Amino acid sequence: MLRQKLLVTGMLVLAGTAACAQGRSSRTETSATAASKPGAQVKTKTLKNGLKVIVWSDPDNPSVSLFNFFRVGSRNERPGITGLSHFFEHMMFNGAKKYGPGEFDRVMEAHGGRNNAYTSEDVTVYQDWFPRSALETIFDLEADRLSSLAIDPKVVESERGVVYSERRSSVDNNNAGLLMEQVQATAFVAHPYQIPVIGWPSDIESWKQEDLERYFRTYYAPNNATLIVAGAVTPEEIFSLAEKYLEPIPAQPAPEPVRTVEPPQQGERRVVVRKLAQAPLLQMAFHGLRGRDEDAPALDLLVRILTEGDSSRLHRRLVEEEQVAIAVGGYQGAGFDPSLTWVLVDLPPGGDLGKAERLLDEELAKVVSEGITDAELRKAKNIVVADFWRSLETNSGRAQALGTYEVFHGDWQKLFGATDRYEAVTREQVRKVAAKVFAKNNRTVGVLVPEAGSDEAKKEAAR
Amino acid sequence: MTVLNGKVALAALLMASTAGAQDSKAGQAPTAQQARKASVQDAVKLPKATVLQLKNGAKLLLVEKHEVPLVAFSAMVRGGALGDPEGKEGLAALTAELLQKGAGKRDAWQFAEAVDSVGGSLSVSPGREALDVHGQFMARDTALMVELLSDMLMRPRFDAAELDKMRERMVSELAAQKDGDLRGLIGTYFQAFHFGAHPYGRPMSGSESSLATLTREDVLAYAKAQMGGDRLILSVVGDFDAKKLAKQLEAALGGWARASAPAPVAPPTQPAKGRRVLLVDKPDATQTYFWAGNTGISRTDPSRVDVSLANTVLGGRFTSLLNTALRVKSGLTYGAGSLVLANTQPGPFAISSYTKTESTGQALDMALDVLASYRQQGMDDATLASAKAYVLGQFPPTLETGLQIASKLSELAFYGLDASDVDEFAAKVGGADKARIQAAIQRVVPSREDLTLVLIGKASDIREVARKYGTVTEMSITDPHFAPQASAAKK
Repeated sequence: MLRQKLLVTGMLVLAGTAACAQGRSSRTETSATAASKPGAQVKTKTLKNGLKVIVWSDPDNPSVSLFNFFRVGSRNERPGITGLSHFFEHMMFNGAKKYGPGEFDRVMEAHGGRNNAYTSEDVTVYQDWFPRSALETIFDLEADRLSSLAIDPKVVESERGVVYSERRSSVDNNNAGLLMEQVQATAFVAHPYQIPVIGWPSDIESWKQEDLERYFRTYYAPNNATLIVAGAVTPEEIFSLAEKYLEPIPAQPAPEPVRTVEPPQQGERRVVVRKLAQAPLLQMAFHGLRGRDEDAPALDLLVRILTEGDSSRLHRRLVEEEQVAIAVGGYQGAGFDPSLTWVLVDLPPGGDLGKAERLLDEELAKVVSEGITDAELRKAKNIVVADFWRSLETNSGRAQALGTYEVFHGDWQKLFGATDRYEAVTREQVRKVAAKVFAKNNRTVGVLVPEAGSDEAKKEAAR
Repeated sequence: MTVLNGKVALAALLMASTAGAQDSKAGQAPTAQQARKASVQDAVKLPKATVLQLKNGAKLLLVEKHEVPLVAFSAMVRGGALGDPEGKEGLAALTAELLQKGAGKRDAWQFAEAVDSVGGSLSVSPGREALDVHGQFMARDTALMVELLSDMLMRPRFDAAELDKMRERMVSELAAQKDGDLRGLIGTYFQAFHFGAHPYGRPMSGSESSLATLTREDVLAYAKAQMGGDRLILSVVGDFDAKKLAKQLEAALGGWARASAPAPVAPPTQPAKGRRVLLVDKPDATQTYFWAGNTGISRTDPSRVDVSLANTVLGGRFTSLLNTALRVKSGLTYGAGSLVLANTQPGPFAISSYTKTESTGQALDMALDVLASYRQQGMDDATLASAKAYVLGQFPPTLETGLQIASKLSELAFYGLDASDVDEFAAKVGGADKARIQAAIQRVVPSREDLTLVLIGKASDIREVARKYGTVTEMSITDPHFAPQASAAKK
C-alpha cells in the first residue's frame, strides 16, 4: 500500500528499458553456471495460430510465473474510447463461457494462484503466480477467457465504478498523477500517446458494449499475444498444455497499425495546473526514443546519471546543494513509438518554481554542452549491471524481462546481449543523445501551482 | 504512464511485521534449498544459516546463495521509534536518514558516490521497534559493503549542516505526501488516533511539528542510547564464502560499543472499547479513504497462522469478502481489504477501503456489515480449503531473493522465533481447523461495537455521515501533526 511517491521510478522495467548488462566477467568461481550460458534454459515455440510461447525453466523453484503480453494499449485508442484498453483488461477477469463472473479469480485462488494485470500505452500484460500443481487449471482458465469472454453488460456498468475509483486514486486525488496526465496530453498533438491510459472521465462513463466486443475480436487474438512462463516447469509440458488449450483458438486478421507519426515539436509547450495543494510540482517531458532505438541504452544511462541515487547530478544540485527540491525523478519511456523522457521535481511547500526550473535548465544545458565524465559513465553502467542481476533473481523478473525484449525489441535473445550494448555506449554517444532529447524546443513543461482554498474551504478551516 | 495493478486487491499484509521498514519486497518464489515433496504441496524451507554471536552481543546470520553474483543484507538495530523520547517523534527517523549522510572517511557526497558507483543500494528506515538497514551489492563489492555498513553504524558524522537540511526536507516531505496517494498515509493517522499515548501511536516518520524541534544534541543522544553492538542483528545472503565473510564482519563490527541504555520495550496494548471516529478534512478530495479497526495480535501470537487464514478470507486476497462486496459486486471502489500489523505487542487489525465522496456512508455500512457477519458466521469448508491453498501457494515467492531471505532471518531473530516459523508454516496451514479459526476470529477480528474509525475526505460533505459511527473528532489534513490535539473539538 505504501507507494513510491514517484511512481515512475519503479517502472523502468515495464517500459522495456530494463537494465541489462554484463557482469559475467566479474563472476566468482562459486557462482552458478546458470548464467554462464545466456538463455540456455529458455526454449520457445510458435503455435499454429501464431501464439509464441517462451519458457524459462528453473527447476529449483516450486512456483511459476505466467505472463501474457497483448499488443494493445492506449496507443490504439481514439477520442470516445480513451481508457478502453485498460477497462478491457478489467473485463478479462469478469467472466467467460466456462468460468462465469468471479469464477476466474475464485478458481485460481482456490488452487493457490494469484493474478494481476497492467496496461500501458503499448501493451496489456496479464500475470499469474501459482504453484506448479495449478498448471493445468491455469491454462484452462486462460483459454476460457481468451476464446470466449462474456462481457456481461451488467458487469460492465459495475466495473465503470471500479475504474473511476482507480482514476480518483491515481490521478484526481494525486497531484503528481494529475500533472503528468496534463503534460502528456500537451506533449503530443497528433499521436495517441496523448491519451491517458486510465482514460478521460467522460469516456470511462460512456464507452459502449460494441466497443468492447470489437476490442476483443481485434486485439485479443493469439497472433497478437506472447506467452511467457518462468519457474518450475519443463518446456515440453508447457508446449503441450499450450497446444491442448490455446492452439484451438483461431488467429484473427492483424490489427490496423497505428499510423500517426507525431510531427517534430518546434517550440516549448507549457501547461499549468492550479489547485489546492501543500506543495508545487515541476515536470518536464521531452520527445525521446522508441524502445528499440539504438540510442536507447545511451539515453537510459544518461537519465540514470542525472537522476538515479543521491550522487546523481540533479539530486545533488537541486536537492542537496540548492535545496529547491525535496525529490528528483527521471523516467525514460521506451514504447513502440517515440516516447517521452521525463524529469520530475517535487518542491517543498512554498518552493520556488522559477528557481527550480532555472537550475534544471542549467544542468540539462551543461550535460548537452559538456557531456559526462568517464566515472559517471562507469557508474551508470555498474548500476545497470546490478539491476540486471536483481531483475533476474525472481521468476516474475525473468518473465517480465523476456516479454519486454521479445515484444519491444523483437527478440527475447536480446536480453542476453543487452549487456554488451550497454557496455559499448561511449561518452560521445551520451552527449549526442542529450543534445537531441534535451533540446528546449523539444519539451513540455508542466507546473502545479498551489492555490489558496475556496471560501468554502476557508470557512471549514475556521470551524 | 503505465497503469499498474490493473486489479490489485488492497495490499493486505499477511502478518506484516512493522518492526522493520514497511517496504514491500516484491518478488516471487523460493530458494534453491527447499524440500521437494511429491505431493501437490511444495513447501519452502529456510536455508540453514551460519550463526555467530560477537562479544559485544551482535548477532550475525550468514547464508551462501550462488545463483546470481549478488550479496544482500538486512540489519536490524533494536530500538527504532520506540526510542523516540516523548514529544520528539521522528528522532529515530532523522537519525536513520543521517546515517547515510556521511560516515567514516566519507562525507555525504562521497558516501552516496561510493554506493552508486558500484551499482549498490543502501537504505535505512526507521521501524517501529528497530532501525532497519537494507543493502544489495554485486558480490565483488562485498568488502566495500562491509566497510560502508560498519562506517554507517559505528562512525556516522551527523554533520550539522546535513542535519539542518535533512530535517527541513523531512518536514517538507510529510507535507507534500498529503498531495499524493493517501492510501499510505492514512495508516499513520489511524495508529496515532487508535493508540494515542502508547508508543505505537507515534508517527514513525515524526510529524511536521515534532521534527521541527529536533537538534543535533537529540540525534547524538539517540545514537548513544539506542544504537550499539548489543542491539544489532545482521543477516547476509548471497554469493560469498561464509567463513571468510564472518571474519570480515567480526573485524568490522566486533568493536562496536554497546548502547548506553537498555533496549526500549513496548508496554502491552489492549483492544479499545466502544467507538471513536477521526475525520481528517481534505477539502479538495473527491474520494473518502477509511480504516476501521482495533488492536489485533503480536508477531509471536500462537494463533498467528489461524489469524493469517482468517485475514485472507476477510480481506487478504482479491476474492476476499470485503473486496467481493465493495468492488466486485457493487463497483464502489477499486480496492477493499484488511490487514494485520504485528509487532512485539499487538498492532492494528483493520479493514480499509476508499470510495467517491457521495458513497462514503454506503461503503462504510457495507464494510461493517461484512465485518459483523464474518464474526458471526466465520467461513465454510470450501472457503477454508481455498484459503489454505492460496496461503500455501503464495508463500514460496516471499522467500525467493537474497534480500527476502536476509530480511526473514533478521525478522525471526528479532522476535526470538526460529526457522520453524517458516519450515512448519505449510504443516500449520494444512492442519488449521475451522473451530480454531472461528475462535481466532472471535478473539482478533474487531467487533462492530468496538471500533476505531479514521476517515480522510471532504468534511463538509461527509461530516453528517461520520457522526453515524460514533463521536467524531475533527482535524485538518494541513495540521502539522497526525493525532488530534487535546483541544480538538468533539462533534
